[in-house]
Amino acid sequence: MGNWFERQRNIIDFTLSSLVRRKGKNLALLLVYTLLVFLLASVMFFTHALRKEASLVLQGAPEMVVQRMAAGRHELVPRRYLGMIKGIKGVSGARGRLWGYYFDPVMSANYTMVVPEDHPLGAGSISIGQGISRSRLARVGDFIPFRRYDGTPMVLTVREVLTTGSELVSSDLILVSEGDFRKLFGMAPDLYTDIVLSVRNAKEVATAAQKVQKLLPDTRPIMKSEILRTYDTIFDWRSGIIVVILSSAVLAFIIFAWDKASGLSAEERKEIGILKAIGWETSDVLLMKFWEGAAVSLSSFLAGVLFAYIHVFFTPVMLFEPVLKGWSTLYPSFKLVPFISPYQVAMLFFLTVVPYTVATIVPSWRAATIDPDSVMRS
Amino acid sequence: MIELRDIRKVFNEGKPHALTAVDGVSLILDARAVTVLQGPSGSGKTTLLSLVGCMARPTEGRIMLEDREITSLPERFLTDVRRRTFGFIFQQFNLVKGISALENVMLPAYPLGERHASLKKRARGLLDLFGILPRESSRAEWLSGGEAQRTAICRALINDPKIIIADEPTAHLDTKLSREFMDIVGRLKAEQKTVIIASHDPLVYGSSVVDRVITMRDGKIEAAGR
Repeated sequence: MGNWFERQRNIIDFTLSSLVRRKGKNLALLLVYTLLVFLLASVMFFTHALRKEASLVLQGAPEMVVQRMAAGRHELVPRRYLGMIKGIKGVSGARGRLWGYYFDPVMSANYTMVVPEDHPLGAGSISIGQGISRSRLARVGDFIPFRRYDGTPMVLTVREVLTTGSELVSSDLILVSEGDFRKLFGMAPDLYTDIVLSVRNAKEVATAAQKVQKLLPDTRPIMKSEILRTYDTIFDWRSGIIVVILSSAVLAFIIFAWDKASGLSAEERKEIGILKAIGWETSDVLLMKFWEGAAVSLSSFLAGVLFAYIHVFFTPVMLFEPVLKGWSTLYPSFKLVPFISPYQVAMLFFLTVVPYTVATIVPSWRAATIDPDSVMRS
Repeated sequence: MIELRDIRKVFNEGKPHALTAVDGVSLILDARAVTVLQGPSGSGKTTLLSLVGCMARPTEGRIMLEDREITSLPERFLTDVRRRTFGFIFQQFNLVKGISALENVMLPAYPLGERHASLKKRARGLLDLFGILPRESSRAEWLSGGEAQRTAICRALINDPKIIIADEPTAHLDTKLSREFMDIVGRLKAEQKTVIIASHDPLVYGSSVVDRVITMRDGKIEAAGR
């Protein structure tokens, strides 16, 4: 065992000094490799974190939302619909929701205004998300001016800055009382934005949706499972676009790496010949090449993943934000909470480190099987 | 003792440009003696040397190393025999560039798994013995001809081999350094090492430390020198 360990140590020692000898070439390779891992890992971390945020949003979402449609567009729901839905067999509860979007021209940002069900607010007070607090420099007790539907001003007082596990949930959120909401948007007291309902038996959600549509043909029931599917599709599609764009970079890297790894220089070939002539076995040469490939690819992998982590979670994700967040350019900026899937990191490892290490070994294996006497004949 | 029985070595066999480098050589090389293979370029000296040193396999014939038949050994065993039995000094010295003289000397022992510290100590001891310890951290390409040659000798001795094989060792040395080399060969002989040299340098085959000169021409033995 000691022998084995010392053998590895001696060969690693020589491998590292070999890498240092060709530092220009290896440094260039390391940089390109790190950049590639960085780009791929950034996309992976970013889409995964967004998806995780989205699933957190939906965790507390109702089983079903009923919207009223008019001319194919979302329309406000009259209060009487609530009573009719409550009467459907299997529906255990229903309530009208009030929410909407407010565009703040000062910050060029879009806020989500919600009247909370279990968060009673007094008239004239609001709770704001951290994104708004940051961008408007608003603290508890500050006033925020709004413009009502008819152009008249309305000032509301910040009562609380919201803290939650996910900023996607709360960054742009403003919780407001029902009265203030209706005053701000000029909404009649018998109208709601939509209706949420709960169903006694989770297996009967689809049946309840059918009953709602039959009873109220101008409505559209949306099930939680449908929203989840849509989110997944959107994020998969967005990350797909990035991956397609990146694939050309990946291809260029593969050509570069293959050329570097497979195209042993005359000097490297001669060196392998010398090593064999002085008593190294083919397996010793391969072990050396394995460590060489592993040293380059592992350090690039670790550096790339680390930079991607910093890029995604600690900087404004400059490279991919417009594509991956899409409409969120209107949002007050929000910070992603770091979520990493070990599965994705493992996949990235197998897609980058393993192929490169193999690409290093295969051509060396060909060179290492030459007769050691080639050195004497050269 | 090394015995060669009817050895033949053909390169590119079966192809139009096939070349017979060694043709039916039978020979017994004594242990603890200095033997020189002499002959013009292309006479087959280097090829015969590489066959004796287990660097290549003969196309036909057998080689016995102390009564052990080594021609049919698998590569792994052959390599093991080679690195434990033979030390090689090449015509161009073949030091690995970019690493120090000390590392070059240690290189053949790396795969054997000896502790790094003790290996380093032995390598430094050898460099000291040959008077080049002050140059231990110089890169191979910065060494003078004589220093490079002595480094190559230290490298050949690091695994304490019984047999030293040298191919045209004085080809790139001036007269003074060539004489110094033959003095070193004399020291190795005194230490009970077997030395086999391929050379057409009169300073080598005419040296008093040489026990036997075998003359080769066209892949055959012209004079066995007994």
